[in-house]
Amino acid sequence: MPRPMWSGSISFGLVNIPIKLYSTVKRKSLQFHQLRRGDGCRIRLKKVCSADNSEVANEDIVKGYEISPDRYVIVSPDELEALYPKASRSIEIEDFVLLEQIDPIYFEQSYYLVPDKGAGKAYSLLLEAMRQSQKVAVAKMVLRNKQHLTTIRPNGRALTLSTMHFADEIVSQDQLDDLPAEDNKPEKRELAVALQLVESLSSDFNPAKYHDEYRDKVLEMIEKKAEGQDLVTQQPIAEPGAKVIDLMAALEASLSALKKNPAKPPPKSAKPRRKKASAQ
Amino acid sequence: MPSNKILITIDGVELKVSNLDKVFYAESGFTKGQVIDYYIRIAPALLPHLEGRPLTLKRYPNGAASNFFYQKECPASRPKWLPTVPVWSERNKRAVNFCLVENLPALVWAANLAALELHTSLSLADNIMRPTMLVFDLDPGPPATIIECTQVALCLRDFFNRLNLQSFPKTSGSKGLQVYVPLNTKTSYDQTKHFAHTLAKMLESKHPALIVSNMRKNLRTGKVFVDWSQNDDHKTTVCVYSMRARALPTVSTPVTWDEVETAYETKNAQSLIFTSDQVLERFSRLGDLFQPVLTLKQHLPKLDSKSDC
Repeated sequence: MPRPMWSGSISFGLVNIPIKLYSTVKRKSLQFHQLRRGDGCRIRLKKVCSADNSEVANEDIVKGYEISPDRYVIVSPDELEALYPKASRSIEIEDFVLLEQIDPIYFEQSYYLVPDKGAGKAYSLLLEAMRQSQKVAVAKMVLRNKQHLTTIRPNGRALTLSTMHFADEIVSQDQLDDLPAEDNKPEKRELAVALQLVESLSSDFNPAKYHDEYRDKVLEMIEKKAEGQDLVTQQPIAEPGAKVIDLMAALEASLSALKKNPAKPPPKSAKPRRKKASAQ
Repeated sequence: MPSNKILITIDGVELKVSNLDKVFYAESGFTKGQVIDYYIRIAPALLPHLEGRPLTLKRYPNGAASNFFYQKECPASRPKWLPTVPVWSERNKRAVNFCLVENLPALVWAANLAALELHTSLSLADNIMRPTMLVFDLDPGPPATIIECTQVALCLRDFFNRLNLQSFPKTSGSKGLQVYVPLNTKTSYDQTKHFAHTLAKMLESKHPALIVSNMRKNLRTGKVFVDWSQNDDHKTTVCVYSMRARALPTVSTPVTWDEVETAYETKNAQSLIFTSDQVLERFSRLGDLFQPVLTLKQHLPKLDSKSDC
């Protein structure tokens, strides 16, 4: 059983329904850790001053808002806290609308709403009323110091809440210069062919059909590596070419210098000759 | 991006070298191929200083400005003919098998692993608890520079001169200077470390505005830290002729005492910075100034309070 991430209540006219909020998504993206090449030491990030590289303790870090390049207004946590939306525990339903009127572009994150103790009856009532009316609720709530616009809709046995972007957060299409003009109508014949193609590929949406194949492949690779299979891919060895010349000349010069005054015999005779060096 | 791997043959040994065009020093466009070329050309001077010494590879797979790691345990991917030597590590509770890089193919192999910096033990693997030399690593705390280091180095030279002992300076190739006193006689790290620490403290008390012997970085500002702690069987020091991972392809370069004096008198820090090309030119002209460090037999003296500098 997952843990609730928030609790409060839906307020719907005179009815108050205590609920708990659960995440709808288990993130399955792969997480890698940063390690030092060679010995696998875990990497820790340090916060440092960009000017003198000295480490800065968390208590010495303040928030600055850049009002113009390199000019910052320092804002204290107290100042921000004074402006927080009222830490209300209530989800206020404001309107009921048709779901198809809301473009998916507005949806942000989804959560399941689960009735808290004793609220089962009121919860079921709201769920059934929304099913029958085929409408979804638009509500406002405060989550983590931020005001959110949300929708609540019936989804199987649960009410599901989705946080939404505010209209002024959505980028206007007028800002996209390369969209074709409205009067750019396709030819009838071409359109007929395109419609036929769409028809032939039409099916019901079956989300279980699609998988993150990249993730599957990465996991498979990691498992193989963990079993000790060597998967390091070989780079092709280039033919000795023009690049060699410098090194070869250097080698010849050093080899003849070393032969005059040998430092060590060549590796043919260099066998691991030393026994254990003693030390405690 | 071409993989530009090539196969080279040295004394009948085949070696793959790769990524020769990869820039390892961004500021001057110095490539990995040039690093390998330098190590090949400096080999006649460098190899005797690596011979028989457990070697720590400081590897910079993506060039001098990127991440590095120290490799003490010789990698399993080493060529079959590359000898290793086990040295007991008290910290790891096991023997660490160090690479022994003692000939040209081994050196090319190490350079191809992007081991820009070669750090050696002060002892030979045969007698790991006996340092063959005494080292003072002079590290300037900004705003102090290598010029302040020359003053301390000259102080050390005079001190050892009075005891009829020869000492040899080299640049660290990074910010400072290092003074080596060849021993090549019976001694121990307990003795050399104690000696170096005592001398460092003595110098500090004579020149408190110039010298600090305490390792704490915040005490170093504007002074020279005389690092005596390198005289330890766990420590390694950058080997003479090793490249350094700095902005330019600089090298830990042996210099003459005259050059140190001139730098001190003219306050010319630039005169003590040498890149790989300059080092090759110096070697062909001056030979290996550090050769006596390997052979000169000197006894660690007794320190008494009358010793002065």
